[in-house]
Amino acid sequence: MDIRVIIFIVFALAAVAGAISMVLARNPVHSAFGLLLTMFSIAVFYVMNGAHFVAAIQIMIYAGAVMTLFLFVIMFVGVDTSDEAEEHIPFQRPMAMILGAGLLILIVASGIQAWVNSRALTGRGSLGTIENVSDELFGTWLLPFEATMFLLAIAAVGTIALAQFAFTLRSTDGSDDE
Amino acid sequence: MGNIAFLPIGLEVGLLVGALGILMAAVMRGCRTRDWAIIAGTAIGFGFVVSVRQWVVVGDIGPQLAYGTKGIDGSAVANQMVAMDKFGALGGMILMIVVGLVLIGSWQMITDLGTRGAEYVALILLSVAGMHMMIVSANLVMLFIGLETASLALYVIAGFLRDRRGSDESAMKYFLMGSFASALFIYGVALVFAATGSTSLYGPTSIGMFLGGNVMPDPGILLIGIALILVGLAFKMSAAPFHQWAPDVYQGASTGAVAFMSTGVKVAAVAAMVRVMYLGFFQFYDDWSMAVALIAALSILVGTATAIAQSDIKRMLAYSGVAHAGFLLVAVLAARVSLDSMWFYLATYAVSLVGMLTIVGVVAGVNSGPVSIDSFRGLGKKSPMLSVAIAVFMFSMAGIPGTSGFIAKLVVFTAADLNGFRWLVVLALLASVAGLFFYLRIIVVAFFDDTDAEETPSTPTGPRIAIGFAVAVTVLLGLWPTLLLDFAREALPHL
Repeated sequence: MDIRVIIFIVFALAAVAGAISMVLARNPVHSAFGLLLTMFSIAVFYVMNGAHFVAAIQIMIYAGAVMTLFLFVIMFVGVDTSDEAEEHIPFQRPMAMILGAGLLILIVASGIQAWVNSRALTGRGSLGTIENVSDELFGTWLLPFEATMFLLAIAAVGTIALAQFAFTLRSTDGSDDE
Repeated sequence: MGNIAFLPIGLEVGLLVGALGILMAAVMRGCRTRDWAIIAGTAIGFGFVVSVRQWVVVGDIGPQLAYGTKGIDGSAVANQMVAMDKFGALGGMILMIVVGLVLIGSWQMITDLGTRGAEYVALILLSVAGMHMMIVSANLVMLFIGLETASLALYVIAGFLRDRRGSDESAMKYFLMGSFASALFIYGVALVFAATGSTSLYGPTSIGMFLGGNVMPDPGILLIGIALILVGLAFKMSAAPFHQWAPDVYQGASTGAVAFMSTGVKVAAVAAMVRVMYLGFFQFYDDWSMAVALIAALSILVGTATAIAQSDIKRMLAYSGVAHAGFLLVAVLAARVSLDSMWFYLATYAVSLVGMLTIVGVVAGVNSGPVSIDSFRGLGKKSPMLSVAIAVFMFSMAGIPGTSGFIAKLVVFTAADLNGFRWLVVLALLASVAGLFFYLRIIVVAFFDDTDAEETPSTPTGPRIAIGFAVAVTVLLGLWPTLLLDFAREALPHL
């Protein structure tokens, strides 16, 4: 058997197992780690399909930054806190089941179609490497990339302008803000 | 990389340097508004000079595309990001005049803001750079970044006066709805890319080339993409049914900020729409022109009908702005036969509206939120000059002969009729007549209603200059429209 198929099966199972454990786990930290496993496995798929850059981003942003954020929130709220979720929307469970079943059918159907109709992987596998992405980013798309600088400048200036006001309010309150 | 020349993006660079310079001046020299005025004036003046220079250069060597890359085979330069043409040059001149008038007219507000005034001016300069980016962009991705630059700064500007109730609400509403519209726009760009394999408007790999060379048996995805792009731009110009944010935002934001956000974005969004729709999707003209016509008709009807019922002058101007967005969309359709009519309408409406809002700022205070029409009561006795200016602007927006608004409507409607939209022109004419009601009501309130009010509003020098300039332009172009029309006739986009 091709090594790629073995890798795929291993990480596909890991991704599904991570997703299931995320939903079913009682402890929110376990849920977070289930999600981490899924995201990491998906990153492996990206590498296998030649999208190295997306894989790196997936690890850094999702498995790194977003997961840290999740864990922070969980720690702030407290691991042991359990919220008594009351379902206010009527028929929430049946509707969720119907929608979930519909999504499953769609995915299976499109998967079967792709399995039958898909083209064999050819040399296109190298398109998503970091070199190619940077070539595009700093070649073709250099000017838009530079223009995002306007956005960053506006974000910084806007934040200062809006936040400065709250500060002046507090200090004119006569409180000990000096 | 292809040719690197700074003239095509000189305006943006100048404004960015100006904005950063103002921030640095505020840091190093403290709260000296005179410094900021000098820097902002220099940056805007530089932008105007660059636009004039672009116009001259384009006249000499023809329209240019810049910031492209060579294709994989190394032959043709493709994927240009910026077009330098008379279209963008005239857009730059109009934007510079508008932002200059706005800053002159509402400088009092910046003085009142203290140290935060530097950020306000910087944000306005960055925002107007984004607006110009929208007009000159030769690629949908570039257009999106311009759109975001313009809007993101406007969200902050809308909520700048946080000590007043409604300011935060105004900013938050604008931000949430605007982000949604931007998301729709970029989704539309993605779908267009999915259908055509390109986001470029020019060159051998452009959308137009693809559509010209390939027959699409099933253009569903492309049509959805075009529709979403239209929605994104229509939101920015507050055309119905994407206008719900405008009255609340205008009412909550300070008058000086409204003068900027109601005019600048309209200029940019209309010009960008003309470039994208005609150059990118001309093969689907029949499809999108009908959609634009329907949005225009709805905007005109909704804007006119709702403006009649308003008692707040800024809400009234917001709904009148919705109606004018409809007229501007008629101008987008008319642009197929005459682009000068669209430019004329854009320029004259923007100048009149800035003038009117400057007056509102003088009468009710430039930091004011909601402004009742009653605050104009008896203004004719207290301040005859201001009232005459109000009359000129209101006549112009209503389309009374002798003002630029009449000529604007005349040329736009004539061209739209020539282009086969007679039903829309008839509707727009009827709505213009109905619109007389609320424009004339303000004049009636100002001249014929008595007041027991005490103080006379004195007009400071800055607003005096802005209002005087706007009145002069409105009257002058109403009497000699060829001054601008002949000029604008050449302002064609690169083909």
